[in-house]
Amino acid sequence: MANGLMNGALNRKVMFLLGPVTGLVMFGAVLMVATFLTNREYKEPYRAPTSIVEPTPRVDGLAAERAAAEAAAKATPYAEAEYRTFPIVGSRVAIWAVAQLHLLFAAFVLAVPLFAFIIEVIGYKTGDPRYDRLAYEFTKLLSTSFSLTATFGAFLTFMLIALYPKFTNYLMSVFSPTFLPYVLLFFFEAFFLYTYYYGWGKFHPLVHLGLGLGLNLVGTGIMLIANAWLTFMMSPRGISDQGAVLSVWDAIYNYTWMPINVHRIIANVAFGGSVAAAYAAFKFLQAETDEERAHYDWMGYIGNFVAISAFLPLPFAGYWLAKEIYAYSQTLGLTMMGGAFSWLFIIQAVLIGNLFLAANYYLWLGMGRVAGMQPLQKFIKFLLIGIAVCFAVWATPRSIIATVSELRAMGGSTHPILGYLGVMSAKNTAVNILILTTFMSFLLYRRTGKVATVSWAKMGHAAQLAIFAAAAFIVIFLGIYGYFVEATVRIGLSVPQVSSVLAAMVSITAIDVFLFRGASKTGEVRWGKIPVISQYVLIFIAVTFTWLMGLMGYVRSGLRQHWHVYGVIRDTSADAFTPTLGFATQVVSATVLLFFLLIGFVFWITSLHDKPDFVRQPETGHREGAGAVSPAFAMETPGEHGRSS
Amino acid sequence: MTIPHPVRVGVLVIAATSFYTYVGQMVPQKEVQPPQETVIRADLTTADMVKVGREIMDGKGLCFTCHTIGKTGALRFPDLDGVDVRAQTRVAGLSDIEYFAQTIYEPNAFVVPGFNPGMPVINKPPIGLNDQEILCVIAYLQTLGGTPTVTLQTSHHYYTPAGAPGAAPAAASAQGVAPGATPAAPGATPAASGATPAAPGATPAAPGATPAKPTGAPGAPPAAPAAVPAAVAPAKGTTR
Repeated sequence: MANGLMNGALNRKVMFLLGPVTGLVMFGAVLMVATFLTNREYKEPYRAPTSIVEPTPRVDGLAAERAAAEAAAKATPYAEAEYRTFPIVGSRVAIWAVAQLHLLFAAFVLAVPLFAFIIEVIGYKTGDPRYDRLAYEFTKLLSTSFSLTATFGAFLTFMLIALYPKFTNYLMSVFSPTFLPYVLLFFFEAFFLYTYYYGWGKFHPLVHLGLGLGLNLVGTGIMLIANAWLTFMMSPRGISDQGAVLSVWDAIYNYTWMPINVHRIIANVAFGGSVAAAYAAFKFLQAETDEERAHYDWMGYIGNFVAISAFLPLPFAGYWLAKEIYAYSQTLGLTMMGGAFSWLFIIQAVLIGNLFLAANYYLWLGMGRVAGMQPLQKFIKFLLIGIAVCFAVWATPRSIIATVSELRAMGGSTHPILGYLGVMSAKNTAVNILILTTFMSFLLYRRTGKVATVSWAKMGHAAQLAIFAAAAFIVIFLGIYGYFVEATVRIGLSVPQVSSVLAAMVSITAIDVFLFRGASKTGEVRWGKIPVISQYVLIFIAVTFTWLMGLMGYVRSGLRQHWHVYGVIRDTSADAFTPTLGFATQVVSATVLLFFLLIGFVFWITSLHDKPDFVRQPETGHREGAGAVSPAFAMETPGEHGRSS
Repeated sequence: MTIPHPVRVGVLVIAATSFYTYVGQMVPQKEVQPPQETVIRADLTTADMVKVGREIMDGKGLCFTCHTIGKTGALRFPDLDGVDVRAQTRVAGLSDIEYFAQTIYEPNAFVVPGFNPGMPVINKPPIGLNDQEILCVIAYLQTLGGTPTVTLQTSHHYYTPAGAPGAAPAAASAQGVAPGATPAAPGATPAASGATPAAPGATPAAPGATPAKPTGAPGAPPAAPAAVPAAVAPAKGTTR
């Protein structure tokens, strides 16, 4: 007993010391890093004049050294540094990693309020409290993420000022009128975010929804301003040939600004949905009750639904962005698609192929939740074949890496047969069919357990099938036709291909909504009854999305190659070269791992919210009332979060 | 032993990122260095200029990002094989040199039928070749189906060498005749094949003069004294 008490007291002391010790360790680490950085500064070694080396004692030598250094410092005129070097990894990689982490958290913080707001609106309109709880659960992830976004944003700013002072100064001179609005919007975002989060259930629902809307508007405004800075670097406008500012508005509204805005909003939603789904998957795996599993299965499904819904139109936004890049500069466009970065799109194809496969796999697994899915299951193998074929086509390179003898046998770097699959006609066709196929998966999932009862059900099904077949025919026909026409015509064919797929998706969905209105159910959805592997699929999707964002962020930024501002401010630093794709993928992987480490921290902090409060239990035994406590947790479930009004 | 889920999740995250990193190592690895500045010596011969021009097209000029040589099929940008032959007659009134200069300095003035406009202005950033570098590029382009005749003293509609005899302000040279250029001797043969006739207003060559040769052609004998100034004057397309 005495030993137990001793151990208990020791444990308490250790726990009490845990916080300050961790703080001291962190402080020590910061000091160590700072010392390391300071010591790495290049210093001119002191060389005493030969005539005084012998007779001068050490103390005099040191004094002379100090005096000489002081005199040299006073004599040196002020000169603005152009670059400074970050130790070990270099300035570019340091900025790259910090910017990427900032962007990943920012994307998450912008996306989650968007779909949390929509889910809250659904909850308000339907009166179903589950939606309200779900929206709140998504919002819980925001608080810590917002802090991390701001921290990395400040880190990035200081790094830019310290490592690229001249370029940063130029960017500031161009965009100085945007800084105050940016800071104000940031302040408003903090206001809206914390009021939205902490005010959940404390206001009238409409007031709360208004806060959510305000949060989204302000967040989007922040993104638009930041996008102006980075797109200006890629497609500068509103300045003279020498870089002097002619129009700030033109500098903001440059060629790639609006396409990036649209692309980022959609991509952020896809990314945010996938990370939120990963959170739900993580919670599902740790769930101890069927009720928890059911809830987190549903949350994961919604998160994934949001991610894939945003992912499907993303390639179209990508087309627009690429079109504007070409419109601004053919050189830039060709560097992207045909030059140094062309192989990057093969890596992208692998990522997107994996995303489509994983998303479809999750949907097919999800069909098991509902009874009566057997009639639809027979279609899955055809969808799988379609996806696999499209994936293979998309990942086929135009030129193949081969040995000299292989090249000789092929008659060049292009394979005599497979080479035909490496061109844009084939790839555009593959990606459009891939999107159509995944859309069909969604449709099948949506129908699971339902039977249409409207009088025109047969005709509706036939119409949907006809539209799908027509869209597929148009895409494939134009893909083949592209091989027989001139480049000017071929480039334009992607527009009707994309349009037919979009039109098919919109019209089939519209028919489906009416077709299944009042449908009879063959079985209820059994949330939580899904194989555990499905949750790992959700996490895999989140990792792939994150990696894809890192990769595409690299190509967008790397396209400028040896220019800070394309064609205006040249990069003359040691990092001006464009690294190999292998190196780029290593940096992307490192930032992705760091992001997941940090997002794991966010998940952990968020999960503390659901943990019951620590309660002190009265001590039993001979030391009654002595104030000794043993850690214990209340067993009651956390209070349900509901609206007070 | 059951492996805890957080450990499994961690392994999955590391495995997925490792796989994508591996894919990244499988594609061709090329480090692209910023283009090196080409040093153009004043005494470069046309043959030297051809070599330099090829280097510029490969590197700083980024020409082969879009253009090909000897490729057929559905091309996105014009193939350059035999381009000098086409350049001599592509635009009425423009010699091959003038045509090449126009495509480089003012690329949208004429777009080859069947292709979309897409050529950037080469003498401005981001490519930003200088006038001498462009002359070297033209020298190389002339070898693709023709004989290079350009020298560093060659002038065209967009450029007049500062040190060239009879160098004139751009406005005057644009008119095709350098002020003070002596009329060529009568009977002088026309300039080398593909050269555009002299700009309107150019005085005919003096009778009895030695046939004019391209001034930059290696080993070319000097033209008749009376014809020389006309040959080196920045008259549009008459300098070869």
